[in-house]
Amino acid sequence: MKRILAGAIALVIGAATWGAAQSLEDLNIQIHGYATQGLLYSTQNNVFTAATSDGSPSWSDVVVNVTAEPLPKLRVAFQARYFLLGTQGNALTLDWASADYKVNDRFGVRFGKVKTPSTMFNEIQDVDPGYLWSLLPQSVYPILSRNTVLTNYGGVVYGTVAPIKELGKFEYRAWGGESIIASTDGFFIPIIDAGTDYPNGLSGPTYGGALHWLTPVHGLMFGASITHDDQTGPVTIPVQGFSGNTLPNPFVIPDFYGKYEHKRFMFASEYERVVVTHEAVFTVGPPGVHSSYLDHRNSYAMASYKVTDKLTVGMYYSNYIDRKAAIGPGNYQKDWVVSGRYDFNQYLYAKAEQHFVDGEGIVYDTRDNRSGLKPQTRLTALKVGVSF
Amino acid sequence: MKKKLFVFLVALVAFASLLSARPYAQVAVIANPSVKATAISKGELSDVFTGASSSLSDGSHVVPVLLKQGAAHETFLSDFIGKSDAAFRTTWRSLVFTGEGSMPKTFNSEAAMVDYVAATPGAIGYVGKGTEHDKVKTLAVK
Repeated sequence: MKRILAGAIALVIGAATWGAAQSLEDLNIQIHGYATQGLLYSTQNNVFTAATSDGSPSWSDVVVNVTAEPLPKLRVAFQARYFLLGTQGNALTLDWASADYKVNDRFGVRFGKVKTPSTMFNEIQDVDPGYLWSLLPQSVYPILSRNTVLTNYGGVVYGTVAPIKELGKFEYRAWGGESIIASTDGFFIPIIDAGTDYPNGLSGPTYGGALHWLTPVHGLMFGASITHDDQTGPVTIPVQGFSGNTLPNPFVIPDFYGKYEHKRFMFASEYERVVVTHEAVFTVGPPGVHSSYLDHRNSYAMASYKVTDKLTVGMYYSNYIDRKAAIGPGNYQKDWVVSGRYDFNQYLYAKAEQHFVDGEGIVYDTRDNRSGLKPQTRLTALKVGVSF
Repeated sequence: MKKKLFVFLVALVAFASLLSARPYAQVAVIANPSVKATAISKGELSDVFTGASSSLSDGSHVVPVLLKQGAAHETFLSDFIGKSDAAFRTTWRSLVFTGEGSMPKTFNSEAAMVDYVAATPGAIGYVGKGTEHDKVKTLAVK
């Protein structure tokens, strides 16, 4: 219902402003897009539900964006995407669709299906042309389950204030709405592997806030965000014939980050902790409340250097630990990465990246590694992209 | 010997100053006469032209416009914004693809930009100093 309401409001605003505009030219319509094609090759384990140990080209993104600016302070836009990674995606979806009214630099509001402005890179984690890396640090930005955090059906208020000029500026973001995780989402892959299924996915309220301090030191930013989630839905254990529902269990995700950019150099680091208690009651199956816990500590540090106007190189170290999992390669993942990007011109670019992965805590699908997971993997990612 | 070295160093510094002063001598930042400010800092210019801000410190609302290419465009980006053309457009595309902005209006010629800036309240752009821009306001870069 909330989704329908948010969509309807965005549509009404769009239609009203369309009517108010004198001509198509007054709407200032822009069409942009990008397309990427990647190749993944790994040793030892297959990753991202693809047969990467044979070399897999099943990694594509095609995005079309339409933006209209019928009034100086109002922007109405939507973005559609075709995404494929391994067995995931392979469908055309609506990324987001929103109306944005920016009163001034201090206050603006955006609503509809909106990007959730949590963490340092959440809003741009699916915008490949926007950064150097082929894959962002998987500890904080796991590509297969990114849809769970990318957007919400609701709204965002935002702005930049400078109450004391000598302290620099403060960017704030606050959001609230409904979060929906489709049953086909990559988020469920390890859960389904473990024998549990969520046939209707999960959904529920989400809200949070983020604050960025743009310090008086030019290029130095510190930030923090906190996200509150509470998704529920039907749950089954097909092998045993159990079925029931999850119980509401609100959880928060605190996230802290910093970035320093100076001329051709960039350094950034981020830390988040995800503590979730998951509870279910079966209507068909054993009585009582069935609980499981996770406690993820995710972090990374990255640096990049712009060698020339066209060539940028960088490296990062990504670290994931599940404090609740049994000790061994399955409860952690460490990833050393070296990366490069070459911009042939303003439209065409290519990326190359090498991962040295230790541990098997995330990104692997046991169905694609039937002979068992190995503790170490080398992953090569090549990508070419065009944007306009 | 010391005197010669001193003269050489002074000449070197003067030459370096000339080099660093080159872009300021070649590119003019222009604005619609409705913009109250008469000067703009390099930081403000960078914020406005990378979508981080839509107003100047005096409260003037501004809307940036761009040249598609050319010497004035390249010089403006490298010396005022500190980015290559590809990096600059990457910044704007990130705003577009996250729903946070739309690309600034872009012009094929400096004359067309001057005409647009002259006719559009709040518009702010840039042209080579050799291009006629009497009908718009020129902002000094602090």
